[in-house]
Parts: sequence; structure tokens; C-alpha cells
Amino acid sequence: MTSNQLGSRTIFIIIIAGVALILGGLVISQVTPLIFPVQASAESLQIDNLFRIALVIGGAIFLLVQGLLIYSIVRFRARAGDTSDGINLHGNATLEIVWTAIPAVIVLVLTVLSYQVWVSIQSVKDDEMTVKVTGARFAWSFAYEVPDPRDTSQKLTVNSKELHTYVGRPMKLEMVTQDVIHSFWVPAFRMKQDVMPGRTTTVRFTPIQTEETYPVRYPIKCAELCGSGHGEMVNWLVVHKDEADYMAWFNQQLDLVLNPPEDPVARGRQVLASGAYPCAGCHVLADLGWAGLTGPSLNGVGDRAATVRASATGLSPEEYLDRSIYYPNEYIVPGFGAGLMPQFQANDPQGANYMSLDDHFAIVAYLCTQTSTGESACDLDRLRSLVFGNS
Amino acid sequence: MATVSLPLGDAPSAPRPRLRVSDYLRWSVDHKIIGVQYMVTAFFFFIVGGALAMLIRWELLTPTMDVVANGSQYNTLFSVHGLVMIFLWIIPMMAGFGNYLVPLMLGAKDMAFPWLNAFAFWLIPPAGVLMIASWLVGPPEAGWTQYPPLSTLFSGDGQTLAALSVHLLGISSILGAINFIVTILNMRPEGMSIWQIPLFCWAILATSIIIVMATPFLAGALTLLILDRIAGTTFFDATRGGDVLLWQNVFWFYSHPAVYIMVLPGMGILSDVLSVHSRKPIFGYKMIALSSMAIAIVGFTVWAHHMFTSIQPELRIPFMITSMIIAVPTGIKIFSWLGTLWGGKIRFTTAMLFSLGFLSMFVIGGITGVMLAMVPFNIHVHDTYFVVAHLHFVLFGGAVFAIYSGVYHWFPKITGRMLDERWGRLHFVLTYIGFFFTFFPMHFAGMLGMPRRVAVYMPEFQGLNTVASLGSFVLGISTFILVYNAIASLRAGKLAGANPWRALTLEWATSSPPPATNFIGDPVLFDDPYGFGTPAASDYLNAIDRRFGAPEPGAPAAPRPAAPAAPQPAVGD
Repeated sequence: MTSNQLGSRTIFIIIIAGVALILGGLVISQVTPLIFPVQASAESLQIDNLFRIALVIGGAIFLLVQGLLIYSIVRFRARAGDTSDGINLHGNATLEIVWTAIPAVIVLVLTVLSYQVWVSIQSVKDDEMTVKVTGARFAWSFAYEVPDPRDTSQKLTVNSKELHTYVGRPMKLEMVTQDVIHSFWVPAFRMKQDVMPGRTTTVRFTPIQTEETYPVRYPIKCAELCGSGHGEMVNWLVVHKDEADYMAWFNQQLDLVLNPPEDPVARGRQVLASGAYPCAGCHVLADLGWAGLTGPSLNGVGDRAATVRASATGLSPEEYLDRSIYYPNEYIVPGFGAGLMPQFQANDPQGANYMSLDDHFAIVAYLCTQTSTGESACDLDRLRSLVFGNS
Repeated sequence: MATVSLPLGDAPSAPRPRLRVSDYLRWSVDHKIIGVQYMVTAFFFFIVGGALAMLIRWELLTPTMDVVANGSQYNTLFSVHGLVMIFLWIIPMMAGFGNYLVPLMLGAKDMAFPWLNAFAFWLIPPAGVLMIASWLVGPPEAGWTQYPPLSTLFSGDGQTLAALSVHLLGISSILGAINFIVTILNMRPEGMSIWQIPLFCWAILATSIIIVMATPFLAGALTLLILDRIAGTTFFDATRGGDVLLWQNVFWFYSHPAVYIMVLPGMGILSDVLSVHSRKPIFGYKMIALSSMAIAIVGFTVWAHHMFTSIQPELRIPFMITSMIIAVPTGIKIFSWLGTLWGGKIRFTTAMLFSLGFLSMFVIGGITGVMLAMVPFNIHVHDTYFVVAHLHFVLFGGAVFAIYSGVYHWFPKITGRMLDERWGRLHFVLTYIGFFFTFFPMHFAGMLGMPRRVAVYMPEFQGLNTVASLGSFVLGISTFILVYNAIASLRAGKLAGANPWRALTLEWATSSPPPATNFIGDPVLFDDPYGFGTPAASDYLNAIDRRFGAPEPGAPAAPRPAAPAAPQPAVGD
């Protein structure tokens, strides 16, 4: 259409503008550390760096577009009294090819860089620690499987409601869900993976040294809408300084599993505290630091079982608490929704929502002690016969 | 290159058509009435969806739950907000513009299938009732994405009604799209090739092709969802042989193209407005037209980037590549629009301000879109406020800004009166500022670790959320300035004349509002819809003024060149 010869002045302006845009992009990209959480995994270093590159380019494009826009608005604004039209220009083939080709090259570069980072963070590392993760409405739980020290041909499971690991140890999580889709996300690690019914998904990461004092706690959040308690579905990831510190924690947990307290109340408290069941996601329980909002509070539940619930249901406190776990929809506390609590069962150890009779007995025994006096509201012998039958 | 036959024939004395409210409340096959019915209905739902957004932002002023009683209520707020804004506001609003403008732009008397057109519209009110009823029956709380098994096994009965509502809206959308395709391809006047139709028509054509191809997939997915909910099937129940990813794949196979269903018509509006108000031909007509088609086609290959944290890891890279490719045609449009401004005589009408606002905000949505396509970064920000920010920059900074721009641009044609420009500028300034401060901080909240769809969040995010909430309240207020402006201008706005903006497309070559048959006699076509800056264009525009009447003195219209020395008397005066 018009002559495509570029004058030396035009070339000069293009070069100056190009350098200015790249410098501008570099300046903008300096905010990168401010808009990410602490970098606490090997993956976070790579991903933040990739973002920084994208922000240099994106920042330059932002400045280019806004710059051209503002320049055009000022320079080509219609002056008062000017009734004429602009120039009758319909296009410029060279320019159109340039602004098709340059974005194509940019996205090609970003694609290649992203691919490289992706391959790296996905790769299987040596000496991975495998932890099984279960998402349930509205809490995460973690299970460490180790050989049973009493009989090394058997596996022993140590449950925890916190995910413990240590600096430098590559982690591999094998994740399932008990109910709906959840998404395991540790913002400080930049890693996220959905957990889906019918599948086992994996996520890998390696904690790195940061400037904090150990052990460090990072939030684990649910990033996929899972229902009313979605926002409260937060557990903690604890990074120990080194393997020795981690093993000290782990051996303590292992000892609790190997030598459970004889007292059913103490054992029930330990089972609940381990996060083996997702109760913390929905209930408040000051004794264990729970703060869920979806279900009724368990503070003082023993008192209520003996008073208002007993009069509402006609059940003794131990009957009421016993049935509330197996048949949660039989009686719904006013103000709360039905169908939200998992229906636990003791028949099929492989099935969903399995809770052994031992655990069940201990948990109810513990809940019975949630009274203002600390005295159990229940008759433990009756509870034992309710749970285990009369045999 | 432009030629025109002058003078433009005689002017049979047709009285200025009067608009009667009662015409809009009943069945009509007139595309102009249907177009307005679409727009007013959609705007009503914009207010509904906006009110829900205000409640959401009110709740998020504090990190704890205080406005809503429980998480389910909050989930219902944003679920219905999303469904209403997408299916009852943006998509029907764009259909309203298309209905009103496409036949006029093509010099046609109506759409190809007028009865079908009315039928498609009248599916919307019952669908809207179903959507609102869903709230009362039992809250749909699975988000607008309705992922099973949350939507099938847990959400309230309202979920079924919401799905039925979207089903109806999908049928409406498909019927409307078929009508657009047939109209655009078959009803152009003698002498208008496909390369001479306004770019708005190209955008509607591309959009309609997407709708016809994609919406049946949504219908299929919704049918399975409804069956799972009410008939005991297990398509999405993994414990009984179903698969939750089936929903995600089919849903996004529609819903990613749906983004373009919402944005492409806006881009069409922008192409027309930017050219007219900068008094300069659109830069690279063919590239803009073809890039719409490229987006329509490539848009079908990118759906799984909404599933980067759920699909098999091996499949993520291919979808990253396609998602990157689609940035290129979008970039072409942005640079073509900038090229259109260059060398123009830019007039800062409110319509133009909103189009310029679109340009400056949409580019942010484009950049974050490319960032989201990068799998490793996406893994971090997936399902966080970063995505909420991105999608609102595209759908509000893009589609809604374009809608506003189109309202200010075509209101004079539709009603015969100009909108007030001072109120318009205030509307723009508040919208622009309110929008930016509502959604820009969300990028940071998401990157720093705030998931989306939560009523409670960690206290460290309160600062960002407070800014967003305050911005959103400004945005909410700004909407009512437009409502006031529209009502006041309908009663007492300056008379617009046929062609207040001195545009060259055919909808302006007839009186405002147009007569029932759109044109008295054959419309006179100017053969380049964007051929500004030529004497022929000036002559044509002057002839339009003489033939149909110029705007009332003092109307905020484009200035007229000084009267020619010897005005040609139009025959028949």
C-alpha cells in the first residue's frame, strides 16, 4: 500500500522503544517475590522464575499496548472545530505480518520454557517418601505406611492430620478422596493436584531450606469447591529441619500406635487427634483445636447428649452418641443440614467410611467426657455392650 | 474506491415511528422489538447477578463468615451469580445486539426466520424464572461449573432446576445462532459481498458457528447431570462405574468456546465503534474478520486448560500448546484496533471511552490468559483468585465494557434519542475505576494463596479483599447511572437524527428508530462500511443527513462539516 522502506529515524525510534519496553518489563517483573508466598520447595524456585520471565514479556506488552493507546489518544484526538475525518488507511501488510509473527514467537518461547519446567517438576526423584493422602469433606488426612517393627512382614499405618516432612526429602503423595473432588494445594510449594473419586492421583515436591526457624508450618488448602466447609478445609504441612528431627516426631507417633493407651477415653482422643477421620473439618472441639463450621459444635456434647438431645430423641447419652456416628441423619441438630456427615460403617474394612469397632468405641467414650465437669456423661459398660454386642 | 449513487432517492413522508411499551411486552416477530426484549431482559438479570456480587463482596470484607449464615449460602451466592451473569446476561445481551443490528446492517427487513427468532427469545423468561426458583427449592451450591459428584450427590434440588434453566437457555441460544448464520449468509443486499459486511456481523457469524457446534455438548452434559440427579443413573458416580472427568471434559468443551461466545460479539462492537469514533477505516478488515474465525476454530481445541490440575499429566502439554496458539489471533485484533486509532480524529464520546477502556483492560486479561496457559504456573494459581481476576478482566473488562460501548453507540438508533454524555462520562469513569480496583487486587490474592469460592479466608488477605469490595461497590453504583441516564434520555434526550455518529454502515441509513420494515424502499449502500476519509464518504453522510434528518442542534453527535455552498435539494422535499 505505502512504501515499506524504513527511514533510519524510524529504525532508531523502534530500537529505542524496544529497549525501553524490555527495561519496563524488567522493572515490572521485580514485583515477583512480593506477589508469591515464601519459596519453600524446589519447584517454587522454578515456577517463580518462569513467572518472572512471563512477567517481563507480559509487562513489556502491557506497556506497549497502553503506551500506544495513550499516545494515540493524545496525538490523534480531534481538535475542537475539526470536522474532517482521519486518513483513509485500510491496513499495512508488513505491520500485520509483524504483529502476527512476534506474538507467535513469544508464545513459542513461553511454551518451550514451560515445558522444560514441567518436565523437571514432574520427574520421579530418587529416594522419595511416599505418603497416602485422603481428602474428605472438610479435612485432609495423611497416612504413613511403614513395616511393623513387631513383624516386619506386616504393614503398619501411622495417621496424622498434619503432613510432616523435612528439608531436602523428595515427597510423593498418593491421593484419594472419600467423597467429592478436592484439590490439594500448598501455596508455599506452588504445587496443586485434584483428588477425584475413582482415581488415585499423585503430586511430587521437595521442601527446601528457608530462612525460617524449624519446624515450619505451611497451610495446605483445598482449591476445588467441595461444599459448605470448603473455605475451612485447611490442614498444615510441617517441615522439620532434618531427618533426625522428623524421625523424632515420627517415632513418637509410631509409639502411640504401637502402644495405644488402655483407657478408651485417652485412646479415643488420640484417634481423633490423629486425623484418621475427617471430623475436624466440620466440628468445633476446643480440646483438640478444631474449628470447623459446617457441623454442630462438639464442645460440651456430653452434657447435651444427657439433656436436650436425650429429651429430643429419647435415647440415653451413650445410645445417642453411638448412633450419631453410624446414622448421623437420624437426628439432625437444629440449624444444621442433613446428609453432610459421612455415614461410618464397621462391616467392610476396604469400603468407604470404614471405622473399626475399637475406634468407634474409643471415640464415643471420649466424646462422652466432653462435659463441663470433665466427668463422663455415659455408662461405659453399656456403651461397650452397645458397640460390641452382648457377647 | 468508494462510489455511491446520489442523491438518495426521494423521501416519502413517513412519520417518526413511536415506541410503545406495550409492543415490548407481547409476542412480536419484529427483530427490533425482539432485540430490545433481549437487551432489557438481560439487563434485568445483570442487576440480579450484580446484587449477588455485592453480597459476595460484602461477605468478603472480613475474613470470617458474617453476612451469610453458612458456607452453603455463600456457595449459592456465587453459583447463581455465575450462572446468571453468563447465561442470562452476557449471552442474551449479545444476542439482543445481534438481533437488533444484523438485519439493519445488512439492509434486510428482518431476520431470516422471524417466528423462530421470537420463540428463541421467549424461552428466556421461563429459564430465568427457573434459575431464580432454584434458589428457593434448595440451593445449587456447586458453582456455575457444577462439577459432579458435588452437584449430583450433595447439592440441593435447585441444582436440577438450574440445570434445566441452562438447558432452555442453550436451546434459545442454538435457535438464535442458526437464525444469525442464515441471515448473514443469505440476506445481504445486492452488491454487498461477505467482505463488505460490518465486522460486527463477522463477529456474530463466528459466534453463531461456535454456538451451533458447542452448545449441543452442554446440552448432552446437562442431560446426563439431570439424569444422575433424578433418575438414578451413574454417569458421574465413580463408585458405580461413572467418571467425574467425563463431566469436566464435556462441560469445558462447551464452556471454553462459550468464552468466545461472550467476547467475540464484543470485539465486533469494538471494531465498529473504534472506527466510527476515530473517523478512520478499520485497520486490517480481513485480518480482524479472519481472526474471529480462527478463534472460533482453535477455541475448540483448548478446553482442557481448565483441567490442568485434574486431567492426566501427559495431556497437559498438548493443551498448553493450543491455548498458547489462540493468543495470536487475539493479539492481531488488539494491534489492529490500535492501528485503527493511529492517524484518526478520535472523538471521546462515551461509546468510544468504553471501547478504549475495553482495549486497556482486556489486554491485561489477555496477558494473564497466556500466563494461565503455562502449565507450571497454572498449577499454582488454578482455582484461585488469580483465575477470578483473569475471567473478570475478559468478561467484564471485555464483554461488559463492549456492551456499554454498544449501548451508548446504538441507543440513538434504537430510541431516536441521544444518551446524555455527561452522565455517560461519569458512568465510564466510575465503571473503569471501580472495575480496576475490584478485580486487579484479586491477581495478588490468588498468587499469594487465596483459593476461589471461599467465604472465610486467612486474615493476611483482608487488605486486598477490602480494596476489591470497595471497588465493587463503586462498580455497583455506576450501573444505576446508566439506568438513570437511559430513562431520562428516553423521555427528554436530544433527538438523534438518522446518523448522529456519521457512520457508514447501513443501520444508520434509515430513520431512528427505523420504521417497521427498516427501510422505506431499497437502502442505499455505501460500498465500504469503514471508508472514512474520502470525499465520497462525506458526500454519502451529508446525503443521509438531508434525506433522513440531522441530529437536533445541541445533541452530542459527531460535528457536521460546514454546509456545502449549494445544498442539493433532495427530490420530493
